[in-house]
Amino acid sequence: MFNSNTPMQRARRISMAVAAGALLSTTALAGCSVANSEDAAGGSAAPSATVSDTLRVVLQQEPPTLEACESNLTSTGVVVRSTITEPLIERNPTSGELEPKLATEWSSDDDTTWTLKLREGVKFHDGSDFTAEDAAATIERAVNSDLGCNVEGYVFGDDDLKVKAVNDTTIEVTAAKADPILPLRLSFLEVVPAETSATEKVREPIGTGPYKLDKWDAGQSINTSAFADYWGEAPAFAKANYQWRSEGSVRAAMITSGEADIATGLSPEDNIGDLGVAYPNNETVALRMHNDKAPFTDIKIRQAVNYAIDKESIVASLYGGRDKVASQLVPEGVVGHSDSLEAWPYDPEKAKSLVEEAKAAGVDTSAPISLIVRTAQFPKIEELGQVIQEQLSQAGLNVKLKMLETSQHLTYQVRPFPTDDEGAISLMIQHGNQAGDAAFTVDQYMTTKGAQSAFGTPELDKLIEEADASSEADRQAAFEKVFQYQNDNVVQFAHISHQTGMLGIASTVSYEPNSSSGDELRLAEVTAAK
Amino acid sequence: MLTYLRKRIISSAVPLLVVVVGVFALARMTGNPAALYLPLNATEAMREDFAIRNGLDQPIWVQMAQYFGGVLRFDFGTSMRTGESAADMALRAFPATLQLAGTTMLIAIVLAVIVGSAAALNPNGILDRFSSFVSMTAASIPDFWLAIVGIWVFAITLGWVPTSGVLGAAAWVLPVATLVMRPFGTLVQVVRGAMVSSLSEPYIKLARSKGATQYRVVGAHALRNAAAPGLTVAGDLTVGLVNGAVVVETIFGWPGIGKLMIDSILQRDFAVLQACVLLTAIAIFVLNILIDIGYALLDPRVRPSAGARGRRKARNEHRGQNNTPATTGTPTTSAPVPTAAIDA
Repeated sequence: MFNSNTPMQRARRISMAVAAGALLSTTALAGCSVANSEDAAGGSAAPSATVSDTLRVVLQQEPPTLEACESNLTSTGVVVRSTITEPLIERNPTSGELEPKLATEWSSDDDTTWTLKLREGVKFHDGSDFTAEDAAATIERAVNSDLGCNVEGYVFGDDDLKVKAVNDTTIEVTAAKADPILPLRLSFLEVVPAETSATEKVREPIGTGPYKLDKWDAGQSINTSAFADYWGEAPAFAKANYQWRSEGSVRAAMITSGEADIATGLSPEDNIGDLGVAYPNNETVALRMHNDKAPFTDIKIRQAVNYAIDKESIVASLYGGRDKVASQLVPEGVVGHSDSLEAWPYDPEKAKSLVEEAKAAGVDTSAPISLIVRTAQFPKIEELGQVIQEQLSQAGLNVKLKMLETSQHLTYQVRPFPTDDEGAISLMIQHGNQAGDAAFTVDQYMTTKGAQSAFGTPELDKLIEEADASSEADRQAAFEKVFQYQNDNVVQFAHISHQTGMLGIASTVSYEPNSSSGDELRLAEVTAAK
Repeated sequence: MLTYLRKRIISSAVPLLVVVVGVFALARMTGNPAALYLPLNATEAMREDFAIRNGLDQPIWVQMAQYFGGVLRFDFGTSMRTGESAADMALRAFPATLQLAGTTMLIAIVLAVIVGSAAALNPNGILDRFSSFVSMTAASIPDFWLAIVGIWVFAITLGWVPTSGVLGAAAWVLPVATLVMRPFGTLVQVVRGAMVSSLSEPYIKLARSKGATQYRVVGAHALRNAAAPGLTVAGDLTVGLVNGAVVVETIFGWPGIGKLMIDSILQRDFAVLQACVLLTAIAIFVLNILIDIGYALLDPRVRPSAGARGRRKARNEHRGQNNTPATTGTPTTSAPVPTAAIDA
């Protein structure tokens, strides 16, 4: 009858059993945990809305590194700055004032050599004492070494600093030339021990901050705990845990389901409801027009672009009225922002007549314009691009929308610019001035040779140079003049809006976001809700 | 078998090389990564320094020679983004993807065999029509939609499972349920078509006439002969998952190779991209060998002794059977050789 015990069949059955066993063992393993994963401290697998001793933060992306000298990168700084490591001086994002952190006071007679008195009784997470040697080594490492630190290029440029530890609690920093905002620049440097490698970057820093790094499960979570020997006030939570999700709607869902306490980088479309807290994030959106090709060779056309864009409607319809119409590249709260500078009014008839005037003067107004926009740079950017394209077309301009991914977009953002065969370049930029001083904007975007400036004029360069060298009240007035001059005589930009960011904050915790929250989320400022 | 394996390894080396060289060259044609890694206001000197440090100042053929020199020493380079070893990053992410793919396929296969077999017992019956509707729907729903709706319903509204993440068994439910739909829907149709074909064969009638139970007829005879087309399609679906379930990994924060690969592409992290591609290419190559071995066990025509032509022919036939319309009772391709009946 049905004899199923032939050698062939036995062999086949054994093979099948082995294959099934392998598959089952994979699954059994899967049932326990994901490869290399461990239960994160305080990370709850099941939804929970109870208050615990762990603060749970969900970010947009995993930090590439926690290297202190890269902390000006948003994805690194949001974890590191003033949480794991601390700077000598800290800028108050609300008032714009510089406040003592690891340095208690600072002064200079000539704006070139600055003396900083350091805080005593501060310990690093490894138990060692913080001294002047550490402060000096931090500056040397970030600014003068060959490490290629991001913060060096972002804040200090080519110039090195001379650093000297005068005694255990005093250092002296000398700039190459007078630099009235050197203390502000120093606020970008997060202090690490002198023993930290100056030839290789470190992924996991030792700091002095309120939380110390316990474990980084690459790909999954970063776990920290309150530093018992912290010099300042102990943070409200014993532990803090970071996770990351790329999708905004998932981050929002983690807040509403009680899986996380704070979520960064949300938008109202993420369905966060009342738990979404908007805050001005210092980002400004504008079009940068390159004047090397017609029709942008004529200032009338660049003015026409400004008149043609209905900024009020854009802010109201696309951004729910949260953003503010912009008249300059820096928002309120940044030194140099001009309160008196008015945004270009929406006047489509004026725009059309300016285009006609330019045409009559011999400008090829039908020449193509490439409106270059970065995909997913901020919420509703695609719609914004389409609206602007339509409004410029109505003014009589020939605009093509070009959506590019980040890497390609960056080739248009920074010098040397590619020569676009498709027409005159109009690049949509999103500029964030996190330093709080207009110098960090205008040096880049408005000088004739600025890395992100398409063009300038000698007169504007001179005004910028004067503003850079001035201090205090003169500085404010000097930068106001720069912005006014840009709008009246140069018109490289069509400003659109000052943006708002949004955090998801669970009802179990209390936190007041500020303009720096997206770049520097100070966990010590988060408390349990009362 | 060893000869067969040796031949497969040799024949796979060339496509593997082409893939790695292609990825190496194409990735570098997409632009200089310096803009992504340096501050926007970086000076020309900083850009040059970056290029030198990452070997990007060399001609591409020199870079390629250095890369392959490194590969021979098991040095796959360092991530520009994280400073970690590219091989470590890829090897860390890959098991997470394998676990997800393995679990998904196991569930999909078991469910598809049960539903497909039940549907085939009574072609065009109510169960058949219902399973056809369900499987077609399952195979057609986009991953991202299913994932978002799943989170909204089961994590937010009902609170049964976490929205995302990898902690605890409950975290597996949504990613696996999302991923299982397409393989399940596809396999149900394949199993059903192959079973309808098998059940109409003379050896089934012979088995029935000899008094075999329904369970034995379906389980031991029809199913075994219907397994080959299922294996072909399941193999193809598994390859797709092993390559990284990018959408699901991204939405659920699953630290797998698909997400890592996409991030490496967007960040122009060449070394990590190359390590990921090499690893998945090798895995797919191994998977294909396993599938071939599976065929050999199921179908004598594809055993090494049958020669390459026989294997290709049989495999193509099995692939063709994937197109069998789910609602018709007539098989469109020739049925597999009834090995079980012969043995019986």
